[in-house]
Amino acid sequence: MKRILPFLILTFILVSIAFGQTARRPTIMVVPSEQYCISRGYSTTFVNEGVEQTIPDYRRAMQSDPDLRLVITKMGGIMADRGFPLKDLEQELRNLERQSAELEMLASTETGSGIAESPIDRLKRVAQADIILDLDFTINTRGPQRWITFNLRGLDAYTATMVAGAAGSGQPSTSAPPDLLLEEAVLSYMDEFNGRLMTHFEDMFRIGRQVTIRVQVWDSAFFDLYEMFYYDGYDMELIDIIEYWIEDNTVEGRYSLADGSNNFLRFDQVRIPLFTVDPRGRERAMDTRRFVSGLASYLRQNFNIDSHIHQRGLGEAWLIIGER
Amino acid sequence: MKTTTLLFTLIVMLVFFGCASRRERQILYSSSYNFEIQPAGVGQDGTKAVKVWGYGRTPEDAVKAAKRNAVAASIFHGIPAGPGVGRTPAIVTEHNADVKYADYFDEFFKTGGRYLSFIALSTDGPPSGQDRLRIERNYYKVGVNVQIMHDNLRRELENAGIARRLDHGF
Repeated sequence: MKRILPFLILTFILVSIAFGQTARRPTIMVVPSEQYCISRGYSTTFVNEGVEQTIPDYRRAMQSDPDLRLVITKMGGIMADRGFPLKDLEQELRNLERQSAELEMLASTETGSGIAESPIDRLKRVAQADIILDLDFTINTRGPQRWITFNLRGLDAYTATMVAGAAGSGQPSTSAPPDLLLEEAVLSYMDEFNGRLMTHFEDMFRIGRQVTIRVQVWDSAFFDLYEMFYYDGYDMELIDIIEYWIEDNTVEGRYSLADGSNNFLRFDQVRIPLFTVDPRGRERAMDTRRFVSGLASYLRQNFNIDSHIHQRGLGEAWLIIGER
Repeated sequence: MKTTTLLFTLIVMLVFFGCASRRERQILYSSSYNFEIQPAGVGQDGTKAVKVWGYGRTPEDAVKAAKRNAVAASIFHGIPAGPGVGRTPAIVTEHNADVKYADYFDEFFKTGGRYLSFIALSTDGPPSGQDRLRIERNYYKVGVNVQIMHDNLRRELENAGIARRLDHGF
């Protein structure tokens, strides 16, 4: 019995770890493509420093396009059935408006103080998702025939990579109404799309989540990334020290140093593990902020370099070094 | 005598090679990798409309084999794209799942097994015309239109722990 007890405890711990932990779930949102919005007039034009710019007006698209609403509802139903309820763009835009109004009005009961909000906080108050389903469709006509051309792209919001896609044209029909053809198009291409999304998730579990990391230097810092530091018996540039840390801590050392100078570094295709053990010894789901905080601690402990972490969703973080 | 021996050897060889090629053909017909399936349109919500072919000693046997093939193709092989219809990937993506879960699939695909509950509609009864081909003296190839309850089938395999859910691990 004495021999069996430790074995049983170990098994229980292993099972708890295996079944208790889940990776951070990416949020998915369907957004009509810029081409779709602009070609149908759901757009706003303004002049930015002398250059005329046209940007999509998603709110107007959602309010006045019944075909778009139908397609998004159909896709939402299918994704919810597969265990991935979609974030609703229309509701998200409405929430953001309400949130802004409430933030303006909120005041402390004791001193009447308002909510602290920096310009960057305000800038971050936009509709966000980790994977954007960029949707575009056209109802084509030729004589009495109608058919749908459908194009759906799954884009990782941080690495700007297309993780899944499905596109094609439906069979021409003379009798089916456009809403039925649209429903057919969604049913026809969603399985293919979800199959590719599944492959992306399987890759993620096998070789880690793909993220982007930027390292910047505060203007007030007394050094830059070419500064030499003494470490492990060698004099090394800070740029190399950071790169070695990334190499040591990514899954199978997978990353790409896409660009850099004495003031910044941009790491693309960084594969971070899905789980980590926090300082209290508990296993936690990993995201880019947590991963970059490991680099921040390493620089602080070994080189006395303070830094600030700027998070951009689940898949991108910036480490700004020089001060907090 | 020499001529008789030569003739006899020739006959034996002909019989031998003839049998071998027939056996090979029969192995091909009953192969678990031989799926002949094509989309027959976009199915209603949660279903797939396909035309699938089956082989058998009688047209009735071939129809049964076709239904079995429709379900097996959805699980292991996927359904290719067709005019106006996108590709449907295989429900089970794990390599060698048919061997790994052989006990489950033997029970699932046995005669009158549960695979039949995922066929919603079929043009049952031996077809005629181009959909009924007599390829050997006692061998038929028939094509039937089948509606597969694809979402139900996927859910069944997910619940059995054979297929991975899209949100698996999250």
